[in-house]
Amino acid sequence: MKKRITWDFLMARYPAFFPLILLVLSIAVNLFLQPNMFVRETLNSNMRVFLPLIILAVGQAIVLLGGGIDISVGGVVSIINTILATRVGLDGSSEKMWQFVLISLVAGALAGAINGFFIAYLRLQPIITTYATSFLYAGLALFILPNPGGGIPADIANLYRTSTPLGLPLAFYVIVILLLIWMYVSSTRYGKYLFAVGGKADAAYETAVPVTRVQFSIYVISGFMAALAGIAITMLSGSGNAEIGSSMTLNSITAVVIGGNAFSGGIGGVTGPVMGAVTLSLIQNIISFGHINTWWETLVKATIIVVALAAPGVINLIRRRRV
Amino acid sequence: MAKSLSARNIVKRYGGVVALSDGNLDVSTGEVVALIGANGSGKSTMSKVINGVVVLDGGQLLLDDKPAYFSSPQAAKNMGIATVFQELSLIPQMTVAENIWLTREPMTAFGTVNRILIKDKTEQLLSLFRGTYKTDLRPDDPVASLPPDEKQLIEILKAISFDPWMIILDEATASLDSRQVQRLFELIGAWKEADKAIVFISHRMEEIFSIADKYSVLRNGKTVGAGDMKDIDDKELVKLMIEKESVFSFSRADSKNGKKEKPVCLEVKDLRTDSLHGVSFSVHEGELVGIGGLRGQGQRDLLLSLFGDVPYSGTVNLFGNEIRLRHPREAMKLGMALVPGDRAREGLLYIRSILENLQLPSWAQYGFPLRIGKAKRDAEQAGASLNLKMAGLQEPVSSLSGGNAQKVVLGKWLMRKPKLLLLDDPTKGVDVGTKAEFYALLTQLCSEGKTILFYSSTDEELVGLCDRVLVVHDGLIRTELSGASLTKENLIGASLGVSNEGVR
Repeated sequence: MKKRITWDFLMARYPAFFPLILLVLSIAVNLFLQPNMFVRETLNSNMRVFLPLIILAVGQAIVLLGGGIDISVGGVVSIINTILATRVGLDGSSEKMWQFVLISLVAGALAGAINGFFIAYLRLQPIITTYATSFLYAGLALFILPNPGGGIPADIANLYRTSTPLGLPLAFYVIVILLLIWMYVSSTRYGKYLFAVGGKADAAYETAVPVTRVQFSIYVISGFMAALAGIAITMLSGSGNAEIGSSMTLNSITAVVIGGNAFSGGIGGVTGPVMGAVTLSLIQNIISFGHINTWWETLVKATIIVVALAAPGVINLIRRRRV
Repeated sequence: MAKSLSARNIVKRYGGVVALSDGNLDVSTGEVVALIGANGSGKSTMSKVINGVVVLDGGQLLLDDKPAYFSSPQAAKNMGIATVFQELSLIPQMTVAENIWLTREPMTAFGTVNRILIKDKTEQLLSLFRGTYKTDLRPDDPVASLPPDEKQLIEILKAISFDPWMIILDEATASLDSRQVQRLFELIGAWKEADKAIVFISHRMEEIFSIADKYSVLRNGKTVGAGDMKDIDDKELVKLMIEKESVFSFSRADSKNGKKEKPVCLEVKDLRTDSLHGVSFSVHEGELVGIGGLRGQGQRDLLLSLFGDVPYSGTVNLFGNEIRLRHPREAMKLGMALVPGDRAREGLLYIRSILENLQLPSWAQYGFPLRIGKAKRDAEQAGASLNLKMAGLQEPVSSLSGGNAQKVVLGKWLMRKPKLLLLDDPTKGVDVGTKAEFYALLTQLCSEGKTILFYSSTDEELVGLCDRVLVVHDGLIRTELSGASLTKENLIGASLGVSNEGVR
């Protein structure tokens, strides 16, 4: 029996279908305002700005899939940024830089492990726990670097900013690698456990899925990805600022939800959230190229996001009425 | 190899409540043991002791006559004991194949799940019930999109997928239709041949008699009788369960002829929804009309659309006035009430108190601020008239047994004094004693002039209780049975879509 391709079928089977429409729309508007968007330099300068949020959204997507939420990711980004900016310094050697990149990744995973321990083993509420630790991490970042300053060597920052292997931005390769890893992980047993725990933890427990370990792992992954995002944003800015991550937490969650993942867990993937992060970043772009008054910026941005989030629900409502 | 499991003098307490005080059960390979008892008698606890979900407080388990101890469901599973849970252990967002093989997925050399193999293995399992599915069931369908009966079948397949020697079926037939039950029984027969042990828990007496070899009866946490099925009949079994004999003696309200002269209460013409293809019928005031047929043929949609819960086309007249409902609120205003099929999800706020549940549709009557005292008195009265067994109105509904919880669902509507009651399988998962009370209540309501439209998956109820039965098949009313033609044979025949002449 052949199945008809209907709106419901597409929405149910491909959670990334709607984010794709949004992405195409925002690219179209962006291209209209910024005609040279696909020229190598412009593309690269856009993508390198988008990348930290994209990486963060991937980590957040894993947490949401597993039925949790991580509000502390912005704090982790700040910590990593301040560590790199103070420990490596503007005149640091590149060996020192890479050494601290490794340390950062471990620190990020450790921050995630603290969240995971509280949530998975002590059974605390994810939203409360990570809200609390977000202050812990943000405070630690301020302790490391009270005033903006410090930095990393310019040649290393430029490596991130200007590398375009085979004519494509570095960020492009990072995204492809992340998606390939996700494609692999989602078809392993761990991937199935992730969906099972996020979908219905009780049922997963009765089926002997290691629920606690899976819950712990998603926060470690999220912390690790936050560290990666912190490294990217440090290389982008070249300097340290303890406030740098604070606005990124909500953006990462918005990106994942625009990307079609269910807030309740168990539905979605990583491709949608990546598209959601790009869309969100493009909206920011559109606002600056549309010469919208700075006073209106937040309002316009928020309106676009609310409309984007509400659209699938509104479409369903209209479809129900028509019956 | 013959294996056996025995439970001896099992004691299990939940807080201060003693669920089991002296539970005993003996199961060996190659036999089907029916575990029987009214709701709250400890059946579920007994099965949870055997499969390791709860840890026992006293007594012991013997596996092949050696003491055994199951600390978790996993431990029992490793010993080859599978359970088909009543509350489903499936993950709705995942596919059929992923659910069945979760934690035991066939892997490739690269550490990924072998998609081709998992699909093949699932197809093999699915073929066990091939022909009884209503949907075009495929291994990669998400479980959330399946009707309840097919979810239950997947649950059964999941339990047998790791080839256990012992299978516990806890109310597994409650949401299946007669064809599916029949297929399950064929499979149970085959498992028996293959030297597996089966523990069968069911409220349906006819099922127990057609499949079980032995029985074990629980009453108030004690095993009060056990033996071979061939040495006992249903009357005696029921007597063991409740010490009250006349349970299944149905009594209809008054003579049917009188009702035809009463005004028409509900008239439905050409009702169409996604699953109904043009249904027309009328119901007189004070009539108890049954809706029969296999599960999932559109009965649920019929009741929901009459209650304004799903969109429909066609005309509905209530006492001669055409009504067009867009929301259950409008149906409530017109004096209608719906007891939905899934009481845990649609009928009750499970974690809230009995008082709140009973008063939920009626709070508007109690003014602002709410006159709580009066609300409590009214709720007490409703509870007492329904013979509701509860520790107090403030207790959460989740503390009640299935039968008592269903009384709360019915009670919350009766407090509004409805004229037309729509009942969606109200006796599902309800113990025999409460069922009898329900039957008496329904007849009484009808004689008080209330009209009842009653869907049931139990054929005996429809035949014994209803004035007429409309048999729904594939979204249409195929047959109307009443008077002398209202027999179980005709009902089953019509349910399966066989014409009346085809049934002898």
